[in-house]
Order: sequence, then C-alpha cells, then structure tokens
Amino acid sequence: MISAASRPRPELNRRHFLGHLTATALDVPALQFFSSLNANADQVRKNHRSCIVLWMSGGPSHLDIWDLKPESEKNGGPFRPIDTSAPGVKICEHMPRMAKQMHHMNIIRSLDSKEGNHDRGTYLMHSGYGPNPTVVHPGWGSIAAYELSEQLKNFDLPHCVAINEPGLGAGFLGMSFSPFVIQNPNAPIANLKPPADVDAQRFDRRLDMLGQVENDFIAQRRSQMAVDHKAVYGKTIRMMNSKYKDIFNIKSESAAVREAYGHGSFGSGCLMARRLMEQGVTYVEVSLGGWDTHANNFETLSKRLLPELDQGMSALVADLAQRRLLDSTLIVWMGEFGRTPQINQNAGRDHWPRGWSVAIGGGGIKGGQTVGATDKDGVDITDRPVGVMDLIATMTKTMGINIETQYTTPRGRPMKVIDGGQPIRELIG
Amino acid sequence: MISKRIRSTRVPGLRGIKFLVLLIAWLVVMSATQKLAAADCPKPGIEKSKSAGRAGFIDRLLESSWKKAGVNPAKPATDEEYLRRAYLDLLGRIPDVQEARAFLQTKETDKREKLVDFLLEHADYPKNFATQWTILLIGRANQGQIVDRGALSSWLRKQFAANRPWNDVVFDLVTAAGSNKQNGAVNYILAHLEFDAVPLTSRTTRLFLGQQIQCTQCHDHPSNEWKQGDFWGINAFFKGLKTEQKTSVNETGLEAYDHTELRDEPSDAYVRFDKRNGLVGIAFPKFLNGQKISQGTDVIRRTELGKLIVDPKNKDLSRAFVNRMWAHFMGRGFVNPVDDLGSHNTPSNPELLDKLAREFQESRYDVKQLIRWIMASRAYQASSVKGKGVDKEEGLFNFLQLRPMSPEQLFDSLLTATNAHRAGNGLQSDQKRDAWLRQFLFAFGNDEGEETTSFQGTIPQALMMMNSELLRDALSAKPGSFLADCIEQAQSQARSPEAYMVNQIYLAALSRYPTRKEFQQAGGYLASYPDSLQVLQDLFWALLNSNEFILIH
Repeated sequence: MISAASRPRPELNRRHFLGHLTATALDVPALQFFSSLNANADQVRKNHRSCIVLWMSGGPSHLDIWDLKPESEKNGGPFRPIDTSAPGVKICEHMPRMAKQMHHMNIIRSLDSKEGNHDRGTYLMHSGYGPNPTVVHPGWGSIAAYELSEQLKNFDLPHCVAINEPGLGAGFLGMSFSPFVIQNPNAPIANLKPPADVDAQRFDRRLDMLGQVENDFIAQRRSQMAVDHKAVYGKTIRMMNSKYKDIFNIKSESAAVREAYGHGSFGSGCLMARRLMEQGVTYVEVSLGGWDTHANNFETLSKRLLPELDQGMSALVADLAQRRLLDSTLIVWMGEFGRTPQINQNAGRDHWPRGWSVAIGGGGIKGGQTVGATDKDGVDITDRPVGVMDLIATMTKTMGINIETQYTTPRGRPMKVIDGGQPIRELIG
Repeated sequence: MISKRIRSTRVPGLRGIKFLVLLIAWLVVMSATQKLAAADCPKPGIEKSKSAGRAGFIDRLLESSWKKAGVNPAKPATDEEYLRRAYLDLLGRIPDVQEARAFLQTKETDKREKLVDFLLEHADYPKNFATQWTILLIGRANQGQIVDRGALSSWLRKQFAANRPWNDVVFDLVTAAGSNKQNGAVNYILAHLEFDAVPLTSRTTRLFLGQQIQCTQCHDHPSNEWKQGDFWGINAFFKGLKTEQKTSVNETGLEAYDHTELRDEPSDAYVRFDKRNGLVGIAFPKFLNGQKISQGTDVIRRTELGKLIVDPKNKDLSRAFVNRMWAHFMGRGFVNPVDDLGSHNTPSNPELLDKLAREFQESRYDVKQLIRWIMASRAYQASSVKGKGVDKEEGLFNFLQLRPMSPEQLFDSLLTATNAHRAGNGLQSDQKRDAWLRQFLFAFGNDEGEETTSFQGTIPQALMMMNSELLRDALSAKPGSFLADCIEQAQSQARSPEAYMVNQIYLAALSRYPTRKEFQQAGGYLASYPDSLQVLQDLFWALLNSNEFILIH
C-alpha cells in the first residue's frame, strides 16, 4: 500500500491555497473564498482520532506519582499510596482526583528510555529517535497531524498544537507541520486580526501581491524552506479566517467548567485541548514545567506540581469521558525521563531514564491496567520492559496510522515511523 | 538583465547627482576606514590578512569533494544575493537602500572583497557578534538581577571590535573574576552557577570545545567516550566560586544593589556526585585529556582550566570555533549539531575542517581572518538557486542552503528597511528588541539552562509579520519613516515618481531592483487604485512578508 512505500515530500501531494488565491480573480474577497471551504469541513470531522499529550518538562518524579515504593526504606520518600477507581492500582496520595479516574487510564511502569539529558530525552520521547547528525526527525505529533490531516484537507485549524511549551518541531516534514504554539492559554492569540485600517478587500490585495513574490522565489528552485514558508502562510490565513477561531478563547466556558480545570496555565491548557478535540484537531500537547527537582523534590511536588497536575488532568479525563470523546481521544502523560530512585543530598531526585512510568488511556484502550513493574526500591525493571518505540507504536496504532509507514529523508534515506518497536499487546490486543 | 533595462529606460533619476554623491561618500568612508584600521592596528596579523584574504585550500578541498560525490556547484551568487547575505551574516541586518545602491552600482572587480573589509570595520559588526555570543553564553531569557546582560554584551563588543584572538577571549571568559559591572565577562560564569555549576560545566565544554559531556552528569555516555567522572572532573574546576552582592548609595540617598563580585576561594578541590549504583563518587579537577592539576589551594583552579583550554596542544578550541563559524555562514557545520564534535560524529568534510582549524590556530586565532577566508570561498560565493545536478545531498556546500533570519536579524532588518524606530514608538535599542522577543521565548528552567523560541517560521511568526503593531509602525508614513521619505524624495525626481518609489521599496525590502514583470505589476496597481499610499504600503507589506525577505539566500 501507499503508506508502506516511501512517501513523496509533503509539498508534492498537497495543494496550497495561496496558489489558488493568486489564481482567482483579484476582486474575490478572501473571506468569501474561505467560507466556501468551511462548508464540507464539518463532515470530515466525524470519526476522527485525536491525541493529547500531557508533557511534564524537566523530568517528572514517577516514583512519587505512579509507582510509589512505600516498602523501600531508602528510596520510598514521604508520600503514601492510595487506592483508585481501578482495582489494585495505587497512586500518590497527592493525586486524589486522578485516583477517581484511573479506571480510564493505564500506567506503564517499566519504560526504559536510556537518554538522561533534557535535550536528548525531549527529542527521544517526542520522536522515538535519539538525536542524529544526519537527519532532524519529526515529532510524533507532526507525523500524526501529517498522516491524519490528509483526510482533512479542508480543515482550517492547525492540526498540531502545543500549549505552554513548544513541543518538538516537524523536522524534515517542514515548518508547515510544526506545532502551532500557544504560549499562554489564558490570553487571546496575538495578532489574529489584521489592523483596523485593512479591510477584507485590502487584505486580499496584500495577499495577491504576496503570492506573486512567494511564487517567483519558489520558481527559482531554491530549497524546501521557500515552499514551506508559503504553506505556513496558507495555514495562518485559513486560521485567521476560520469560523472556529473563537475556539482559542476559553473564557466562553462556564464558570463551573473553568473552576473544574483550574485557572493556571496547565488547567487552562487542558481545557483548551478539550475544545480543540471537539473540533477535530489531531494532536495537542499541554505542558506543565518545573519537574527538574534536583532539590526539594517532595515539597515542590506536594505543594505546587501535583495539585496542578491532579486538577487539570482529572478534569480533562472526566470531561472527555462525559462528552463521549474519550474513545476517540488518546491521552498520554509523559516527560523526558523519570527521576532517580535514590534521594540525593538535597532532598531531590536526579535524572533517571532507566525504568520509569508513563500513563496512557483513552483512544479506545481499555483502562484500569498496569503494564510492567520495577523492584521494591524502584531500581530495576522486574517485569515487561517497554521501549520508547513500543510506546510510540502503541500510540500510532491507536490513532489508526499504519505502523509500517515510512518516509524518505531529504538525504534520500528511509525513516520508519516505528523502528523496532511493537504495540503493547496488553493494552491494545 | 531586465532590472538593468528598467533602471536605464524607466528610471533615469537613478543616475542623478544624488546617487553619485552617495556613491562617492561610500567610497570615501570605505577607504578612510581601511586607512584608519591600518593605522590603528599595526599588528602583523592584521597587515598580513589583507593579502591573505583568500584561502586557496578551501576551494581545492571543496572542489575535490564535489568531484568525488559527483555533484556540480551551483552558479555563483549574484551581486544582489551576495550583498544581502554578507550584510545579514556580518552586521545582523539587511543593507539599507543607500548601501544596496552603492554596492550594486559599482563595477569594480574586487568589490566583494572590499565589501567584506568594509563590513568588518563597520560598527554593526562587533555589535552583531556580541549579540550572538551573548545569546550563546547566557541565552535570551532574563537571568535575574545578578547577571548584567548589558555589561557582558558591551565587553564582547570590545573584543570583536579589537579583533582579539579567540583563545584570549575564551581564556578571559573562563577565568573572569571581580565586579560584573566592570568586567562584563564575569556575567557568563554568574549566569550558570546554579545546580552546583552543572550548567556552567556543560556549557563551557560545549561552547568552547564542542564536547557534549552533559549526559555524563548522571551516567557514562551511551554514544561517545565520555564517562561520568569526566563531567565531574571539569565541574571540580568550578568549585569554590563565591559571589557577593554589593550595594552603593544611589542618587536618592538610598542604599541599593549595585553589582555582584565573583571570586575564587581556595577550598577542597573535590566534588561529590551520585553514581548510578547508589554510591557517592568523588572527582578531582581533571581536564578532558586526562590532565590533572594540583589538588591544593596553591592554584586558582579556573586559571588552570583556562590554560588547559587554550593550550596550543588542545585542538578542540580551534575546531569548535571553526565549525561554528562555518555554520554561521553556511547554515550548517562540517559537524552537526555544531557543538557535538568527536569520533562518534563524522564531519562531512574532515580534511577541510582539520585544515581550516589548523590555519586558524596558526593565524593566532584571528577571527576576522577566518571570516575573510570563509566569505571568499566558493561555498559562500555559491547561489542558493539550485541548478541541475546540484541538489544531491546536503552537507557538500555546493549551494547555499536557505535559512531563516534569527529573531534579532529580523527585528534589526525590519528597522533598517522601514525606519520604524523613527516613525513608531521609539523602538531602537537592543532592550526594546529583547522585550519584543520575550513574547516568543520559552525558558525551560532545567539544569541545562535550555530555552527556545516559538519564532521558527511557524504560525505565530506569520501572524506577527502580517498583523502586529511592529509591522503597522513599519508601514506607517509618519514623518521620518521610510515611506514618508520615499514619497517626499519621489516628488523631486525628474521623471516618473512612481518608478522611483517602486524601486526604493524593492531595494529597501529585498535589496534588489524589481524585475520587469514586478515593475509592471506594481505600476498596474498604482494606476488602478486611487490611494497610492495604500498601494505602496501594501506592496511593502507583501515584500516584507515574503519568503525572499525572511530567508537568507
């Protein structure tokens, strides 16, 4: 099948609207042009699969959240495990709201990711690959958006969104598949409207002039970036003209909903993610930073990070379930690595990529399970090691993307989306 | 060709007295600065550099690598392309209209070399490299009260202006002590002292030596030769650093923070670190080549580290800098990422990297000399337009790879093109630029001190370019703005003011004349819409938003 063969670069099989626009008569206003695009967008939105990644940047202390070790005298730490809505599954006492949602979620307690450096770990967990001098890999979110967005040609919101932090770029897929970054979900999107003195007709004239320069520069046969630039502008202009652009305004939600998610950047980001899911956006990443707890780990977690995480994440899971969106929305909680079992001289934990936990649920995956285990002190994996590629394969399959999908890099070499990983059978059969 | 015809047939005003005056003024300034430079710097290194502005070995090695790979080089860059990239790479901004006209007009055969010499003596050259190295050394984010960004930046500016040898600059940065106000270099150390100087350890080896040892903070490296002890061995050189915040009485008679002092206090030379097996390791100061220093308090350990880094036997210093500079001009190093050198990461052109590093070291780390060599090479002189048989593989440097302007380049280029700082709300200083940039900035707050921007050619940037206040100011026709000047000057043109204005706008935004087609299209717009100011604004908007504007080509 086509998806198993090497694919042409994106620009070769995608038509760009800016080209259409310059081809249309000058006197057709852009807004009118766009409204005709919206007409059949609603249909393609149905039966669409989406993914939300909750990204804990800095490296979350998994032993104090999902895999507590109360039996370990030296590594256990002060937090106690509590029962959850999933029989036999215990999590941290500072996650009481999530405890009520665990029948929807699963914990993988045996992820072995090998990269203990922020930069490299971030790259690895987003792409499945370690950094490589010869190729810049696309983030998995960009791959998902690229694969699934082809079914959504007339969709006028970005397919791939990152909230609070920028996620990973689209690598060789090109800038136009990079995440749309929302720096602050509590603020309006900056510069979304043209200045007051530029009406639709004038904006159209500007676009017409722009299209001419863009196309001439591309026609001179320079690198891919010239083409990508135009594609990004195309997406941007569609978004500006989208009837869905108010989706970014979470203030239109009721006070009760806002209260449930919390007003911080993480809670608000989760709420925006849910709104984007409802419209059929493919991939949204919501970040919560500050997990690099080399010192004062326990105080930082119990006072600041865990309450914020618990509220936002639990509200999101419950809300998606209630709106019957959970079966089509995969949720993955992870960071660049876990943290050391041993507690250091400063009551902190250091970087630990060898045997840590991620949480995964929704998207049709049965909830309430755990996969793999570490020993009593949290040091060694005792059951079912899971590799990063296994996790990515699981995510890929859940999204309905062929796990044999392969691309050709700019150097003409093949890159498999899944290289040497298998979907986790315990989760998706 | 087409643009030439337009110049001669439709815009006779171009050949007017005004332009000749400008051209002469430019040439006078150029020769004067050259004389000045020669008088100020009687050092043999600088004198020699004039005759050795070209390094034949670069082209020889490039050509043989192209032959081996079976690729053709792209055509040489046009003057327009060369002009624009030279300004962006050396001054951090595009040329303004006068600068562009002056260079495009002159017919001298050595005008590219002269341009490079001129730009290297321009005040914006040290400013631009100081900006870049400030970002490399301490990032873009605000580092808090004790880091004096301005002092570091102005210290760097002096180093690049005086063309101080790179080994001396690095030595001073690694060993800097005293007041961070008086000695701007101190701020590099101050910015990375948190987390037991872990960020300082990894940044020092990455930036100056191209060695990534940060992974080995917690464990031995999975893909290169570094061990956990190597990381902490370097870290031990930074042990015993003390900072003290000093106050002084300000104008209002109140005692307030003034500056921070950094000093080395002799102490135990070892550091403790947590090993993977749960044990605690101990490391004494040890350089990457295994060399150790006295463990006592008889030496200042940072001075010893500085000496080891700049030791002529240490090839990493010149290799790391040469690779980074090559990437600065070509968009890609021989080794990528540019700060990850080592046997695990084979250079695309190992011979050239070796030779260039050796020559750079032998030139006594002469930064300007290195720049002249690179800019004279066939790789830098190549067009970004790919002909047949050119686009085979990246990393051969047979055509110039497109790359987006940095946020700083974009901001400064917008001001250069539009004079927005004169028409708008006083946007002029670097502080204003930094404040503008902060809206696109993410600092991760982890122990690698990482940060990034959302300014990577994606939707937020496109929205900013299309709709922001910055662009609105840029397009304004208030007194002092580019457009206002342009319209005023057009009135005094002997023939077609429209032609003059269209040419000015293309030169301001794209550093070239419009093609015949573009010229006619612009004329068509001006003829069919009554409000010609709006048309000019819209044209300017379109050029500034284009791929041709933002991509260095």
